[in-house]
Amino acid sequence: MSDIAVKVSQPLALRARLNEDWLAVVIGLVVFGSAIVSISGTDLLGWAVTTSVYTDVAQALNPFAKAYGWLGGGGALLATYAALLVVLSAGVVTLGGDVRRFALAFSAVFAIAYASWIVGSYAYVAAVTPAEQQKFGIAWSLKLTNEGGFIVALLSGIVIANFFPRFAEWLKEAIRPELYIKIAIVILGATVAVTAAGRLNLASSLLLRGAAAIVEAYLIYWAVIYYVARKWFGFSREWSVPLASGISICGVAAAIATGGAIRARPAVPILVSSLVVVFAVVEVLILPFLAQTFLWQEPLVAGAWIGLAIKTDGAAVAGGGITESLIMAKAAAEGIKYQPGWILATTTTVKIFIDIFIGIWAFILGYIWTNHIDKGPDKAKPSEIWQRFPKFILGFILVFAVSLWLAVGSTPEIAKALPAAAGEANVFRVIFFVLTFFSIGVLSDFRKLWQQGFGKLAAVYFVSLFGFVIWVGLLISWLFFSGFKPPLAS
Amino acid sequence: MSRPDLRDEINNTEVEPLLPVEKKLIGWSLGLGLALLFVLIAVNHFVPIKL
Repeated sequence: MSDIAVKVSQPLALRARLNEDWLAVVIGLVVFGSAIVSISGTDLLGWAVTTSVYTDVAQALNPFAKAYGWLGGGGALLATYAALLVVLSAGVVTLGGDVRRFALAFSAVFAIAYASWIVGSYAYVAAVTPAEQQKFGIAWSLKLTNEGGFIVALLSGIVIANFFPRFAEWLKEAIRPELYIKIAIVILGATVAVTAAGRLNLASSLLLRGAAAIVEAYLIYWAVIYYVARKWFGFSREWSVPLASGISICGVAAAIATGGAIRARPAVPILVSSLVVVFAVVEVLILPFLAQTFLWQEPLVAGAWIGLAIKTDGAAVAGGGITESLIMAKAAAEGIKYQPGWILATTTTVKIFIDIFIGIWAFILGYIWTNHIDKGPDKAKPSEIWQRFPKFILGFILVFAVSLWLAVGSTPEIAKALPAAAGEANVFRVIFFVLTFFSIGVLSDFRKLWQQGFGKLAAVYFVSLFGFVIWVGLLISWLFFSGFKPPLAS
Repeated sequence: MSRPDLRDEINNTEVEPLLPVEKKLIGWSLGLGLALLFVLIAVNHFVPIKL
């Protein structure tokens, strides 16, 4: 989705989405490229702030690299904020946004989102194992891991959206969840490659299984939900196409792409998109905890399930991150320590495979509609496949390919230094995740949606999601991933 | 178009019957999807995940 697209007219929406995709690629590559330089011994990003689990907040923040220790936690936080402000403001200029409004709003967004992250790292929230509780001298904790900060950020955003709507409106210029998550996904390519390099067989097996996600989302989910919307709820074709795409494929991007393809009025996919975001929030708050409770012994099933069940890239990939933390925490409490990265890599693989085909599916629907249903002079063209292709995926693939080559095709010295460089880039991936969660929360004005009378749309979503999508996703994830666990940490 | 218009439209639109081309789209999607799923399940069986 483009969060901008939800707010503006359709022609602008398409243009903004394309620009936003490319912007995500550029920023993601800048972060990755800067991190990779550290392999040569020059550390360009070591000042980035990291947060440790703490009981004394003064000890919580630190620069990533010891060489930048002189900055202190506060200095690292300010440096990180300033760098993001400059880079993102430059990006907003290219998108044609109001850079002054963005800078002010982003300052508030960053402050609240990162404060949420810090709250989530408090030992009473984050400590997982008895050993950790002992280390911090506490008798109990919520055991959410420090990634519980994502949930805190999401809840902060929801509170602002629903109780402080004027403030939410003021923040709007910097509420860009899709831009943030796309940048994060490009950066994630490095971490996924480092993870995959250790187990190439397992990684290639995951890729093969990504194909099942495409079949499920486009051919099974879509057909059933379109039928439900048309036949059971009596929606018109114009409403049913974006609705089916939003629920079954990848949320907002699919709703807008297929809505445009069948020449729906701009307001239709945009309203469906609002609904998609609200449901994604509900899912992120529920599904990772269900996965931890019922699927912790099948971590890859859980990762794939989250990718298939949660719509919108932001919520799904971020939900995969929470699920990984929760399952690893539960497994650690049982004495099993998995290598990190595999559950999130499974969610991301599934999601990216689904995303790749949006353009093709939109073209197929556009062809059918403009040639057989609403015949007119404006026929669907093959060039729309490329127009609607989510370009940030190219950034992910490039970062993944370069990182994998550095890990397995270069010198042992470079391969040895790569995980640290990828870890440095990962600091920014986490920050963009936090910004995504907060932004999704701010877009989730439940009351407004209800007041606007979209209960019938929500009913289709509810019936399809909880009556079909979640369970079929679970079945297919189980069929393809059960019995296979991530490697154990050495 | 205002949002109240859309609300009325959602709640009061006349039902459009499914056209044959829509039925074909649904049927072909489901049929192809299930067939491909069975193929992938077979592939999954013969090429299991390697650790």
